[in-house]
Amino acid sequence: MNAFVHHFAYEFKTGIRDRSQLLMLYLFPLIFFVLTGSLMTSLNPGFKQTMIPGMLLLAFMSSTLLSLPNLLVNARESGVFRSYRINGVPSASILGIPVMATGVHMAVIGTITSVAGVRLYGGVPPAHVAGFLTASLLSYAAFAAMGALIGVAAGNNTASILISQIIFIPSILLGGIMVPSSALPVHLRRVSLLLPATHGMQIFNGLAMGGADRILLSIGVLVASATLNSLLAGLLFEWDSRASRTGRKAYAALIGISPYLVAALIGTR
Amino acid sequence: MSKTIVSVRGFRKRYGETLAVKGISFEVREGEIFALLGPNGSGKTSTLESLEGLRHPDGGSLSIAGIDPSRQVRKLQGIIGVQLQTSALPAAMTVDEAMNFFSSYHGVAARNDLAERLGLEEKRHTQYVNLSVGQQKRLAFIIAIAHEPQVLFLDEPTAGLDVRSRTDLHVLIGDLRQKGTTVILATHDMAEAQKLADRAAILLRGEIAAMGSPRQLTAAGNRLTRISVGTENGSLLGRAIEVPGGVAKGCENGYALFVSESPGTAVSAILDWIERAGDTLCDLRVERPTLEERFLEITSENSRKGAEV
Repeated sequence: MNAFVHHFAYEFKTGIRDRSQLLMLYLFPLIFFVLTGSLMTSLNPGFKQTMIPGMLLLAFMSSTLLSLPNLLVNARESGVFRSYRINGVPSASILGIPVMATGVHMAVIGTITSVAGVRLYGGVPPAHVAGFLTASLLSYAAFAAMGALIGVAAGNNTASILISQIIFIPSILLGGIMVPSSALPVHLRRVSLLLPATHGMQIFNGLAMGGADRILLSIGVLVASATLNSLLAGLLFEWDSRASRTGRKAYAALIGISPYLVAALIGTR
Repeated sequence: MSKTIVSVRGFRKRYGETLAVKGISFEVREGEIFALLGPNGSGKTSTLESLEGLRHPDGGSLSIAGIDPSRQVRKLQGIIGVQLQTSALPAAMTVDEAMNFFSSYHGVAARNDLAERLGLEEKRHTQYVNLSVGQQKRLAFIIAIAHEPQVLFLDEPTAGLDVRSRTDLHVLIGDLRQKGTTVILATHDMAEAQKLADRAAILLRGEIAAMGSPRQLTAAGNRLTRISVGTENGSLLGRAIEVPGGVAKGCENGYALFVSESPGTAVSAILDWIERAGDTLCDLRVERPTLEERFLEITSENSRKGAEV
């Protein structure tokens, strides 16, 4: 318990102390929130309906896809994991505690963007708080597991940034954060089912905002994704630098996208 | 006679096609400081890291206090302390946080007294990235010994340290030996090994080329004891003096040089000669062959053999 407290406290403080983490956890989501809040609410009044869950999902993606993988890759490649290993720090703590600490930062960001979104930009508040919390937890779990898996599987920072951007950029464009999914061309709606953000927005709309129905598929996809990717991250975790090794088994991480492939094959929008 | 705590039998380690360690065997007794010496690529770090549970052996058996390092890693972590050659901690972690963090995983309180003793007291709130290499090494050492391990592994512990820090660390290692901690030390610094180690093994190309106490190792070499003599009138210079038990080797920087197998007899004879010559002794230096010289001798012998093969 003492070890957990020290580890958690360190990870939490680093989220603020480390400039790159501070940028991804707070500054980038907040700047994005201010810009989109100012622009989108006047250009597209319908944005007010999805603004609060959309900004929260953006913060989740920024912290888990753009920040977490790099942290893991850097720590492994610089030998930090080896220091952890010889001192008995388990791999579950290495992966799990930063995710939990980031989750607390996300709770702070979620509170700021929800309150400020309603007050400053007329964003629609969640109709069901319990549903909002459930959707938040589920979405965060799916993104965090995906970020951890990218960090474990990527051999270097270039690879981790590339993989993260492949998910992040389409999620912003097609995931229902900026543009409602219903406004997408039919063929892109199916493509959007490959993205976790789409399912996150679907669940927020269904559980918290009193909107979309047929959310069971999205719940199933995010639960499966969070579970599968957590397991894969644990299985593929390596203590040593991959610089001098091929890391072929990292390709097994591609199994992690299977829930989204299934959703795109069977889902209808 | 203390009991064996570390046992290595027929240990082999392979990287792809290369057999880096070729079936070495040695034992380390409880409370002993055992040095692993060898040039880069000789298999020191592979041996050390396999004993630490960081690598899996490809053959042979390893045991630390009856624990198999490759199978019982969790159990092993409780009884060993490790200072890696290139230790790395998270860049943003402060000295205080690092001590608390790792001590908590070992289930002990942080050792602030060690921070004070190793000169890190004023750096307790400094982040790891802002510490000098020497300070990082000292922090790694504190973390390695905070839980009072039975067996301590030190991989180049004083590389990059200034003279003062190095001396402090040597004193601390000596204290640990007094308390009964077994230390396995990998180093390039022969003077350090000669000073600290009870026994040493010289590894070359994955094999043990020589093993024994530093005294035994140096005694087994071809090098003779070197005697340098300086006198007021320089009566010894430029003369082929016959000295029982010694051979004159000319002069260097105003000193007459001799080499000897029995330095006691030779020195006595030289002093008699100076007195008879009416000269006065200014300086006398008797230098035993060092571990470094013996190491160089062994490595060059090995290179020759390698070239012949």
